Amino acid sequence: MTKSKFSIHSLVDLVWRGLRGTARMIRVAIPRLYGLALLLFICWLTFLSIRYLVRSLLVPTQTPEQIVGIPRRMEPELLATERADWKAITAAETPRVPPAHYHRVDSWIEPDRFNDCSRSGCHGPLPHSKNKAVRAFLNMHATSIHCGVCHMATDDHPLKMTWYDLDTGAAQAPPAILRLCQRLTEINREDTEASALKEQHRELVALIQRTSKDLPNASALEQLVEHFEAVRPGSKAYQRLLDETQTIIPRYFRGEYGAKLALKAEDGVPILAHPDTSDDVAKFLAQGDDLAPEQRDQLLEKIHPLRRDSAYRCTECHSADASLVPLSQLGYPTARIDALSDPIVFEMIENIDAGRPFEMPQFITPKSDN
Amino acid sequence: MRNGLVAYGFRNMASRRIRERLAGRLICVAILACAGFVYADDPDNCLMCHQYRGLGRVDRESDEFKLYFVDPEYGHHAKGPHARLACTDCHTASEVSVVPHQPTTPVNCTQTCHLSDPGGLERIFSHESAARSLDDSAHSSKVLNDLNFTGGPLLHDGQSNCLYCHDEPMFRDPIAVIPGMSHVNNRTFDRCDSCHSQTVPIDIRYYVNHIASRLQPARPSLDMAQVCAVCHSDPLINEQHDMSDAVASFVRSFHGKAALLGDNSTADCLSCHVMPGENAHLMLGPENPNSSVNVAHVADSCRSVQCHPGADLQIASTAVHLDIPTAGGSAEFLLAAFFIIATLLTFGPAALLVLLDLVQIIIGRGHHDADEEKALARRVLATPEGRRRLTRFTVKQRIEHWLLAISFTLLVLTGFPMKFADRDWASALINMFGGLSLARHIHHWSGVVLIVGFAQHVVVVLLDFWRKWRTPRADGTRPGAWQTWNDMPMWITVEDAKKTLHLLLYLLFLKKDRPTFGRFSPTEKFEYLGVFWGTVLLGITGILLWGMQLSSQFFSGRALNLATIAHTYEAFLAVIHVGILHIYNVVFAPKVFPLSRATLSGETPVDKLAEEHSELVDEVASELGITKAAT
Repeated sequence: MTKSKFSIHSLVDLVWRGLRGTARMIRVAIPRLYGLALLLFICWLTFLSIRYLVRSLLVPTQTPEQIVGIPRRMEPELLATERADWKAITAAETPRVPPAHYHRVDSWIEPDRFNDCSRSGCHGPLPHSKNKAVRAFLNMHATSIHCGVCHMATDDHPLKMTWYDLDTGAAQAPPAILRLCQRLTEINREDTEASALKEQHRELVALIQRTSKDLPNASALEQLVEHFEAVRPGSKAYQRLLDETQTIIPRYFRGEYGAKLALKAEDGVPILAHPDTSDDVAKFLAQGDDLAPEQRDQLLEKIHPLRRDSAYRCTECHSADASLVPLSQLGYPTARIDALSDPIVFEMIENIDAGRPFEMPQFITPKSDN
Repeated sequence: MRNGLVAYGFRNMASRRIRERLAGRLICVAILACAGFVYADDPDNCLMCHQYRGLGRVDRESDEFKLYFVDPEYGHHAKGPHARLACTDCHTASEVSVVPHQPTTPVNCTQTCHLSDPGGLERIFSHESAARSLDDSAHSSKVLNDLNFTGGPLLHDGQSNCLYCHDEPMFRDPIAVIPGMSHVNNRTFDRCDSCHSQTVPIDIRYYVNHIASRLQPARPSLDMAQVCAVCHSDPLINEQHDMSDAVASFVRSFHGKAALLGDNSTADCLSCHVMPGENAHLMLGPENPNSSVNVAHVADSCRSVQCHPGADLQIASTAVHLDIPTAGGSAEFLLAAFFIIATLLTFGPAALLVLLDLVQIIIGRGHHDADEEKALARRVLATPEGRRRLTRFTVKQRIEHWLLAISFTLLVLTGFPMKFADRDWASALINMFGGLSLARHIHHWSGVVLIVGFAQHVVVVLLDFWRKWRTPRADGTRPGAWQTWNDMPMWITVEDAKKTLHLLLYLLFLKKDRPTFGRFSPTEKFEYLGVFWGTVLLGITGILLWGMQLSSQFFSGRALNLATIAHTYEAFLAVIHVGILHIYNVVFAPKVFPLSRATLSGETPVDKLAEEHSELVDEVASELGITKAAT
């Protein structure tokens, strides 16, 4: 009993002494560590200062990046680079492009962070390069359609598709511009009921605001929002603004909506990559060039388990009847659907697809006859 | 149909080749029938495809990225003088009217166009005169055709040399010259359109933008430097033409730094290299007697109304392209070298003392009399008189210190971005101050406050000296002037030098006892005298540079170069001394952390009093009859 009591006391004493020792050690250590941190910091600042002084005297000045950091040539690497990386472009009031290009490019094609085909490093953001007649046209779709829409196998007709957010990769509702365009067509100009007008006004402002955020360089839409916020719903100025909006908005159908179309899995999630292929992709990127042709083909086969043997033809989607893409379900307004499946577009595509040069005047004339 | 034209902003056909005029109008009529596809600023309907940013490809053979995107906003919002042109005004119609397009002939920028003036009259327009001026300039076709760029040619075969300098021209936002223009928008023009869309058909928006934009240079200063840097910062071209990197040295000048910080009123390359009123394309080498930078004219370029009116001819010798490292042996180089050595010799030892002091903390080396001194200091401080006597800074001195601290901080915050103009933080800092113009005002007037405060302090010091000098000692004799000066509290004496050496030896473990100091330690005296030297030098050079036009009446441009170098290097010395060492002593040193109360209440922490000012403590204790033994 006595022995046990003694043991507890000594244990408490031991712990207590241990705690005091630790506290003392901390009290001693903290100032020393603080001193060490200060010493290193002052040494670093002193080094930087002296290095600057010496360099300012001995190393000839280089032109800073704000001036020379502009891409000088249109090189493929530009496509994989965020525009913000070019300091000269961000520093300039009116950014230049490489001299040979001439036409201004306010923003480059931003790499799609959720398109596994290009994110993996296997394919470029503008991947089509073989068929001279159509390669640029095909690449034109890269800003609005995931590669898998045309290149992944599915028996669905029409395709099961969804929009996905370019910032998160998650499935989303149709982009604001599509909803806005549709909403504009539904507006009843005769409606004079104050609360309905107010609701309509609020809805339009929200949709235009969202559209201006989704689209690159849509400053005109920001101005439009300011104007909407400054007018009274139902007034003449409001009506004029509605007219203006109906004219302006269709101009922004340029395939850049802050979202892209992708095939949809059963659970509604967009299919943005071939499943379970990351190890094989890494292997291909590391060893692809060294593999024998058969091994290479086998590996490529493994990397692309969902690949279609041949891509769809343009006219399978750009078609007024039985289009593969359920444009209406995906939120496209009627006017845009008509434009995408217009017989003239169809004719142009058919011609180009068939390798026949297509004369522009033929494009214009039939429309005026319609 | 007319209403349709008006609705699409097609009121005034601006630019059409006469041979295609009729056909063009017919096409327009047809296009307007296809509402939804074709816009008035795109009569050929090229944007139907070219408005897509993804319209492009990578050419595997040439490993080149071909981008066919054309920003439709340029035309829709009339963003530049070429917005009124149709694509086929520049590109050969027969080549681009076929899809896929035929191989296209490079655009000839000097081809003749037919423009319609506001009255509807057709006028021939061409860039031919610009091309002629260019051929007479230092940038003649021969020179441009022979350029060899690092990494290969920048243009494709047959492309116009104009592209080296020109991309798609943009109207600049005229907000800098007409601030009200920021509120002008499409709806503002509705009023104008009530007459001008029908009665006198003029596209008001386009003309207002065009004219308002031209009230300032076509490009901002930084963009201009970017244009010139395409060739003048290319190492191969500089080697080929035996030139130095003129853009790099420009960026080291006041002008270049201001441009980097977003000041568009500063001189750009054209300001100096084009004779006033002359065609901007007629740029001549300095050896040409007609050149604006020829020795006979360069002063006039500097003294133009927009730049330095009223300056003396001597201003021309101010170096706009001074790069100190490549100016070896010049007075400017030697002065910079002097300041760098002076910095190393002044900042170096002070930094060494601080670092060695930190080593003592890290290894836990203590002052063996510290506890005794601390006890004495506490006893002295416990008495009202002792507390008063140990208050090392008076209220007036503390106010002076904070005035100095605030003006110095403002001077650094507004001056250092100029020194490091190419760093990201510099632009951010200047923007925080509302732009370079305002930052400059703040810099100048903070300098004035510093100088006035300093002058006031000098007067007080001199009066104090006078009073002490004229006051007889106890024995009735009057002290000599030098003796009086030597006894001034902040003057560094031989004794201070000895004590500093002693301190160094102590910190290097070569002496056992730490030296003790009186009211002010040698380090404090050194910092105080540094302010004297720095304020005088920075004040004089700052005033010279601020009043450059007046200064040039008395001094040559070289003197202004030297003033710039002295100002910038002395400022750097001041910043590293204050920013690193002084801030350590009054903020981060463990004895005072988180802030020395001396700056607020004038009182010094007991630890610091005991360690660094024990002579003062002993002196006050002795006068109050408090002895160490009693402690």
